[in-house]
Amino acid sequence: MKVQISNGMFMALIINMIYAKAIGVTQGSMAREVGGDIWISTLIATIQGGVIMFLVIFVIRRMPEGDLIDQSARILGKWFGKFVALITFIFFLAAYGPVMSTFVFHLKDYFLPEAPTLLFILAAFLIGTYAIYFGVEVIARMALIGVFSIIALNILLMLGSLSEFDIRELRPTFQMGFLRTVWASRHHNTDWAMATIMAGIILPMVANKETWGKMGFAGIGYGMVFIIMWPILEAGVLSPETAAQYIVSCMQMARSAQIGYFVHRYEMIMIAFFALSILTQIMMSLLCASVAMQKILGLKDYRKVILPTAIILHAFGYWINFDKNRAVDFLEGWWVYISIGVAVGLPFLILVMGFFFKKKLKKEVVAEEAK
Amino acid sequence: MTAVEEKDHFFRNLQDNEDLMTGILGNSVDLVKRRITFHEHKNVQAICYYTDGLVDVTQIELFISDLLYKGNLLLHHSTLPSGPPLALLKEHMLTNASFQVVKEVSQAVDGILSGVAVLILDGSDEVFVIQTKGWEKRGVNEPQTEQVVRGPRDGFTESIRTNTALVRRRIRDPKLRIEQMNIGTRSKTDINIAYIEDIVKEGLVEEVKKRLRDIRIDAILESGYIEELIEDAPRSPFTTVQSTERPDKVASSILEGRVAIFVDNTPFVLVVPSFFWQFLQASDDYYSRYMTGSFFRFIRYLAFVLSLTLTSIYVMLVSFHQEMIPTQLILTIASGREVVPFPVLLEALMMEISFELMREAGLRMPKPVGQAVSIVGSLVIGQAAVQAGIVSPFMVIIVALTGIASFAIPNYAASFSIRLIRFPLLIAAGTLGLLGFSAMFALLAIHALTLRSFGESYLAPATPFQPKDQKDTIIRFPWWKMQARPVGVTGDEKRVGDHQFPEPPNTDPYSKEGGKSKESDPKGGGQSPRKKKRHVIKLKGEDEE
Amino acid sequence: MKRYLKWSLLLIIILLLTGCAGKRELNDLALVMAVGIDKGEEENSFKVTAQIARPADARGQTGAPSGQTGEPILTIVGQGESLFDAIRDLSSFTTRNVFWAHNQVIVINEDLAKDGIAQVIDFFTRNPELRMRTWVVITPEKASTLVSTVTGLELIPGEAVNKLFRYGEISNVAPNTQIMDVQAAYLSQSSQPIIARVTLKEVMVSNKKPEKGPTIKQVDLAGAGVFQEDRLVGILKPEETRALMLFTERLQSGVVTTPCTSKPERTISVELRDQMFQVTPHFKGSQISFTAEFDSLAVVVEAGCPFSIDDQEQVTEVEKAVEKKLKKEIETTVNKVQKEYKTDVLELGKVFHNDYPGYWKQVADDWEEVFPTVDIKVSVNVEIKDSVLLWEETNSGKKENSAN
Repeated sequence: MKVQISNGMFMALIINMIYAKAIGVTQGSMAREVGGDIWISTLIATIQGGVIMFLVIFVIRRMPEGDLIDQSARILGKWFGKFVALITFIFFLAAYGPVMSTFVFHLKDYFLPEAPTLLFILAAFLIGTYAIYFGVEVIARMALIGVFSIIALNILLMLGSLSEFDIRELRPTFQMGFLRTVWASRHHNTDWAMATIMAGIILPMVANKETWGKMGFAGIGYGMVFIIMWPILEAGVLSPETAAQYIVSCMQMARSAQIGYFVHRYEMIMIAFFALSILTQIMMSLLCASVAMQKILGLKDYRKVILPTAIILHAFGYWINFDKNRAVDFLEGWWVYISIGVAVGLPFLILVMGFFFKKKLKKEVVAEEAK
Repeated sequence: MTAVEEKDHFFRNLQDNEDLMTGILGNSVDLVKRRITFHEHKNVQAICYYTDGLVDVTQIELFISDLLYKGNLLLHHSTLPSGPPLALLKEHMLTNASFQVVKEVSQAVDGILSGVAVLILDGSDEVFVIQTKGWEKRGVNEPQTEQVVRGPRDGFTESIRTNTALVRRRIRDPKLRIEQMNIGTRSKTDINIAYIEDIVKEGLVEEVKKRLRDIRIDAILESGYIEELIEDAPRSPFTTVQSTERPDKVASSILEGRVAIFVDNTPFVLVVPSFFWQFLQASDDYYSRYMTGSFFRFIRYLAFVLSLTLTSIYVMLVSFHQEMIPTQLILTIASGREVVPFPVLLEALMMEISFELMREAGLRMPKPVGQAVSIVGSLVIGQAAVQAGIVSPFMVIIVALTGIASFAIPNYAASFSIRLIRFPLLIAAGTLGLLGFSAMFALLAIHALTLRSFGESYLAPATPFQPKDQKDTIIRFPWWKMQARPVGVTGDEKRVGDHQFPEPPNTDPYSKEGGKSKESDPKGGGQSPRKKKRHVIKLKGEDEE
Repeated sequence: MKRYLKWSLLLIIILLLTGCAGKRELNDLALVMAVGIDKGEEENSFKVTAQIARPADARGQTGAPSGQTGEPILTIVGQGESLFDAIRDLSSFTTRNVFWAHNQVIVINEDLAKDGIAQVIDFFTRNPELRMRTWVVITPEKASTLVSTVTGLELIPGEAVNKLFRYGEISNVAPNTQIMDVQAAYLSQSSQPIIARVTLKEVMVSNKKPEKGPTIKQVDLAGAGVFQEDRLVGILKPEETRALMLFTERLQSGVVTTPCTSKPERTISVELRDQMFQVTPHFKGSQISFTAEFDSLAVVVEAGCPFSIDDQEQVTEVEKAVEKKLKKEIETTVNKVQKEYKTDVLELGKVFHNDYPGYWKQVADDWEEVFPTVDIKVSVNVEIKDSVLLWEETNSGKKENSAN
C-alpha cells in the first residue's frame, strides 16, 4: 500500500520543521550579528527559503513518482543515486545536531538542569523510533496537532509579553548595514534548508500533485507568520542585547512573560506545546535519514534501517550536545555551510543534470507509462 | 452428537426418530418429550419436543389441541390412504404464524434448544418446527450506564428481538437491514448485524461479516467477547468498538452510516467503526438545544483533559517544577505538605489506588452496603488521612477532581481506558518531570494516531482533519446547520433539507406584503435561499404599485 | 514487532530508573522570598541574606498539624567570595535546599552598588530557577535589616515589597525596576540603568504605646538610584523620580498641588490624566539637542479655596501654575541627572539613536561626554477639563461668611 498524506499535512510538516529552532536558537545567533534587525533577517531568509522550495518542487514535478534520490538515480544511474542518498543522509545527520540541541537546550537548561543529557537523547530516541515505525502519515497527523499547539503557544506568549513591548528597540532598521543583515539570514536559512530537503523526500507521497506549489508556499507563508512574531517580540520586549546574550532567546522571553500577578511564570505550559512541534521535527529528521539510508543500501523497506540510523543519529546528537560550546559552534558554523550547501546545491545539481539528460528523463517516464 | 454427524436426516419410522433424538438430546430435565396419538382409527403417532422454560406453553397447548380435534376431523374426512398426512396438515390446519417443515436433524435440534417446538409424525421424514418462543424476560428499563436528562428512557434488554425492534421502531426504513448470524460452537448465540443499505460505507458490512465469521469460539456470553475478537487494536488501552445500551444511540449511529452488532443475552450493542471523540459525546447533546449541548460537550472535553492529566501535572509541578506554581499557591501547598512523609508521586499513587478501590468496592457491594462503603471511604480518605498527616489536603482535592472528571465521561469503557493510561503518564511525570510527561504524552498521542477502527482513523475527524465533519465535534452545530452525513458514507449524503432555519412568517409592518406567509409565495419551496425569496416578494409589491 | 516492543519496554524502564534526576520534593525546599546583598566583612566578598518562608506559619492551619512557631519567616546570612559561594554557605546551615524561584525582591546595599553590581546582574539572569520579573531595589540601610523587616499587612516581607511595587502606582515615588529591565539597560549601548530605592521609615504606630506616635520602622519607597554602567552614582529623591519616570516608563497618573492665587495658604490639587510625553531629538550642525513635550489633561480633585470649572479665568490660572510647577520639576531632574550625575538614564541616547542612526555611530562611543552638554528644552501643556462631581464652588451657605 502506498502511503499518502494530504496537502494540509504537508503544509503542517513544513511549519513544524522550521518552527522549533527558528524562534529561539536561530534568533539568538542572528541577534549576535545584527541586533534589533533580526526580524528583517528572518523575512529575508523566508524569501530565500521560498526560492529553494520552489526549486525543489519544480525538480520533483518533472518526475512526480520519485523523490530527489530516485530522480537522480534515474538521470545518472544507480551509483549517482546512491551518492545523492549519501549526501541526504549526511545532511540529516548533521541536521540532527542542531535539532537535538534545540530539544536539549529548551528542556534541559530551563527545566531539568540536573538531569543528564543522555536522558533527553534516550527519550528522543524512543519517541522518534516508535513514531517513524508507523510511517510518515502518523507523523504528518502529529504535525497537524503540532500546528495547533504552535498557535496556542504564540497566543500564550503574546498574552504575557505584549505589555512590555517597546517599539524603540526595533528602530532604526538596518543599523548594521544591509549586507550584514542579509548575511545574518543564513542562520534562519538553515531551518528552511531542512524543510526543503524534507519536502524533496516526502513530496512524492503528497496526494494532490496540482497544488504542491500552492501548498508549499502556503506552508512557508504560515511558517513565516508564526515565526515572525518572535524576533519582533524578542527585540521589542527583551531588547536586542539581551536576546543576543542568551543561547535560547525565546525561552528567555517565555521566562519573562507574566499574566497578571498570579500567573507569574507559565513557560512550562508553553514548552508542553512546543514539545509537540520539536518532537515532530525529530521524527521527521529521523524518518528522512532512514529513507536515505535505505536508498544507500538499496533496501525495499526503510523500517529495517530505523534502529541503526537512529543509533548513529542519536550518538552524533549526544556527542554534539555533550559540550555546549561545540553544539553552538556547530550550529552557527559548520551546520550553516552544510545545510545551505546541500539545500541549494543538490536540487540545483539535479535540475541542471535534468536539463542535460532531459530526453532520458522523458523517455523513462514514457517507458514507465507504457508499462 | 455422533448421530448428527453421521446422518442429518430424519427417518420415516417414528421409533427410529425417537431413538435418534434421545441419542442427541439425552435426558435433560428441561427437555420435554410429549407423545401424542391422534386420528384414532389410523393410530397416527406423533412426538412433540420442546424445551421447558423457553416456550410459551399456551402456544403449544393451542397447537396440540388443534391437532387433536381439527386434525382428527380433517384426516377423517380426507380420502387419503394411510401414510404421511403431513402435507394436508401443513396446508389446512396449522395456524401458527411462523411454521416450517424441516428435514435436517441438526436444524431441528438447534430449534428445540432455542425455544421452538418440534413435532415428529410417524411415517414422515420431515418434521414440523413451530415457533413457540416465549420465555421470561426483563422488561425494557432505563439504561443503567448511560443516563440522560432529556431523551428516551428505554434501554436495550437481554432479548435480541426486543433490541432490534427498539431500533426498528426508530427507523421505519425498508433499507434498514438486519442480518442474522450464529456464533459459538456450543452457545450458538444469535448475532444480528444492522445497517442501512444505501448509507453504510462501502465494504464495511462485508468487513464486519468477515470478521464475525472468522470467530472460532465455543460460547459468546456477552458482546465483550465479540468486541475483543473483532477489534482492530487488541493491544491498545483504547477501546475501538463502541458499546451502548441506548437504542437511540444505535439508531443515530446507523443513520451516520455505521454498523450495529446485536448480541443475544446482553443489553450491550456494539457499534463500528467508532471514533475517540464519540466516547465524549452524550445523547443529551443532540436532544437539548445546541448551545447547552455544546456547552455540556465542552465541559466533557474538559473532564477528559482533567482526568487524564491533572494528577500528573500536579505531581510534576510539586516535585520538579516548583518555580511554575504561583508564589501564593505554593505557600499554601507547602504548608499542607509540611508534615506529609511521602514523596508526592507515592502520595498520588496511594490516593489514586485507594480511590479506585473505593469505586470498585462501591460497585460490587450490595446496594445498601455500598452507601456505607462510600461514607467510610470519604471519611477515611477525605479527613482522617489529612488529619493524620499522611496525605496533603491539596492532593485530596486533586484526586477527587480527577475522579469526578472521569465520571463525567459518558462512556464507561472509555472512562476506564482513560483511567488506565493515566497511570503511565503519572509515573513518567513523577520520575522525569516535564521530559517524562511530554515524552509519555507524545508516545500516547502517536499510539492513538496509529489506531484505526474498521478502516477509519480513530481520532477522526480531528486528525486527519475533516473540515466538513467539524460540525459535530467541538461544537454541536444546530440541526439546521448540520446538513450532511459524516464524510465517507455512500450516497444520500444529505440529512437535513435546505433552509431549515426556523423563522416566523414575514410580519414586517413596513412591507406591503406584511403578514403574508411563505406558503403564499407563488414559487413555493424554490431553490433560492429564503432571504432572497423575501426580497423578491418585496420587489413585486413595489412593482404592483 | 515483538522484538521491537521488548526493546522499547526496556528503554522505558531504563529511562524511568535513571529518572528522578533533579527531583526535589516540596518539603525539602526552603522557599526564599527575598534576598539582600551586602558587602562582606572581607575585601571583595559578599554577604547574602535570605529570607525563607515557613509555609506552615505563613499560611496557618490548613488541615494538617504542623509546627507553630509563630514566625512566618526565617532569615539567615551567608558569606562568600562570590554570590554563589555565599549561597553555598547558606546551605551549610539550612536544613533544606535553598530554592530561589520564588524570590520576590533583590535588595542591594548602596555601598555595594557604588562598587558595581555587574556580578549581581549576571548571577540573577544566568540561573534558570530565577524569575526575570523579580524586583531590584537599592537601600542605604543594611540589606539584611531591610530584608527581615515585616511591613504592612503581609506576613512575609518579600511579599510586602512585591505588593508595594505592584500597588505603588499611586504614590509614584520609585520606578518599577525588575531584573530584566536592569539587565536590558546594562547591556544596552545607549541607556543606563536606574534602580528603585527603599529605606526604612518610622511610620507605624505601636499598638502598645500609641501615644508615642509612629515608632516602628517600615519599608518605604524612596526615590531611585542612578547608575553609570553598573556603579551607583547618584540618588534621586522621591519627588524627582516622577519626572524621571516620564522618560523611562509608561505614564502613570500623578497629582500636582499648587497654592491658590486668592488664598496662598490653601491649595488646589489636580490629577493628571491622558498624559502624552514625547522626546524629540534635533541635530543641527554638530549640536545635539532635545525637546521634551508634556501634554496632559487634568482633573481638579481637591480645592482648598472656592473653585468652579465654569470660571475660565481661574481655570487658566490654575493651569498655568500647574504647568510651571511641572516644568520646574522636570527641569530639576534633568539638570541633576545631566549635570551632576552625568549619566544617561533618561534614555535620550536611545531616542537619538532611533532618529539619527547615522550620527549616533559617531557619538556612540563618547556619549558619556556628549550627554552632559546637550541642550534639553522642556515644554509643558496642561488643560483642566473636569472637576469630578462638583459644579458650584464649595462655599459656606451662611451669607456673612460667603461675603467674605
